[in-house]
Amino acid sequence: MTLFVIDNALPWSQILLIALIGISIVFVVLLLLVYVMRLFGFVFTREHKANNAKVPVAISDEEVVAIVTALKLYKAALHDQESDMLTINRMTRMYSPWNSKIHGLTPCPERIRRK
Amino acid sequence: MGVLLSASFVSESLERFIETSGFTALFADGGYKYLIMIAVAMFLLYLAIKHKFEPLLLLPIAFGMLLSNLPGAEMFHSDLFAGGHVHWDNFVGEAGLIDYLYLGVKLGIYPCLIFVGVGAMTDFGPLIANPKSFLLGAAAQLGIFLTFIGAIALGFTPAEAGSIGIIGGADGPTSIFITSKLAPDLLGPIAIAAYSYMALVPVIQPPIMKLLTTKKERMIKMSQLRQVSKTEKILFPLVITVIISLALPAATPLIGCLMLGNLMKECGVVERLSKTVQNELMNIVVIFLGISVGATATADSFLNARTLGILVLGVVAFAFGSASGVLLAKLMNLFAKEGKKINPLIGSAGVSAVPMAARVSQSVGQKDNPSNFLLMHAMGPNVAGVVGSAVAAGILLSILG
Repeated sequence: MTLFVIDNALPWSQILLIALIGISIVFVVLLLLVYVMRLFGFVFTREHKANNAKVPVAISDEEVVAIVTALKLYKAALHDQESDMLTINRMTRMYSPWNSKIHGLTPCPERIRRK
Repeated sequence: MGVLLSASFVSESLERFIETSGFTALFADGGYKYLIMIAVAMFLLYLAIKHKFEPLLLLPIAFGMLLSNLPGAEMFHSDLFAGGHVHWDNFVGEAGLIDYLYLGVKLGIYPCLIFVGVGAMTDFGPLIANPKSFLLGAAAQLGIFLTFIGAIALGFTPAEAGSIGIIGGADGPTSIFITSKLAPDLLGPIAIAAYSYMALVPVIQPPIMKLLTTKKERMIKMSQLRQVSKTEKILFPLVITVIISLALPAATPLIGCLMLGNLMKECGVVERLSKTVQNELMNIVVIFLGISVGATATADSFLNARTLGILVLGVVAFAFGSASGVLLAKLMNLFAKEGKKINPLIGSAGVSAVPMAARVSQSVGQKDNPSNFLLMHAMGPNVAGVVGSAVAAGILLSILG
């Protein structure tokens, strides 16, 4: 879609008009978006406020303590879930530090000669 | 006799070999152009590697430039794309690797794919929370249209002037998209100018920002942005795509891809796709795009006064874009109530070099008021600039395409 028929030798009036129309369209489109997003914000913040209003604001200290204690007890009762599966992996490597004589035997202490 | 024959055969073979060698072409008539281009490519590689100037793009661009300027290698055949269209009849017989890669640029595929990745990496939350940022994003596009006028005054055609002006949007993929459609001959210089100036945001913008604002204005603290719900973030790309595509069909490829990527990120149900477009797809496309764009910067198309003009006009476009964002923020402050005023420093982030321009607003603001945190406020105009430059690109395509 072409808005104007352009040739290479444009009069300056047309060039300025193109620039003016161009920047004006940018502003108009983005201004439209400003209002759409404001409407957006208005709808969603109102919904958010309405949801917040449903929640009782005033909670007594005893209730807070009860909630915190319940959460504490619940979390203390939690354990890590384990798979309950024991697997013995067959080692293809024959050598291991566990059967190494070098590591198993106490090496002779080196004598430090005093000068 | 046999010895003489074989001696002449060897000397002829050696002569032919020397004639076809790139070294001979380097020292032949006009060979100095290749040497200059190789030096330019090396300099860009130095900037990318040593100074980390947008290395992800500058490195493949510079290497593509190096490859296409090695005489005799024939890596890129500009004649296959002469006249602004692909010569399919000769393509299969003559085209090499870079010619095939360049098809992605020529057909406008790579910039759109990059926009999918950019969308998936962008958080539009600050823009949704403060929709006025759209205006700052729009103001920063003023540089595009002022430079359009300046480029015509320097003798460029309207289509070329539009491609040069879009450098002011500080958006590499958009610049490449527009230039590949309007002025493919200028693709190399424009891409290099666009990415170089994006890397130079921290150098170009601060003096302009300080010149146009007072210390008191730079110290303005802005109120905290509201929380944006997930539903808003999901609906945002859909609403923007529909509105902009209906208003400006020419901008649909860019805006549609940007918002597709953003929807993938925000909806939370296509995590794998979101990660792919942010990383693997983006990286692959960047490599292809960089090499093929760099390869278009051949000695004949790059070494002329027009390239110098493009580099100068590019920085002018960028400066005007930054300045107009700051000035509009100051204008908006005249009508804003106390406590609702905008720090004008976030206006310069309206050029869409994300997130560099927003970081510059933050750092300049903190110099005058260390307790001021402008980053999130500046991200609003910054991402609005991405939308704004895509809209400006659509307008230029509609008018000049």
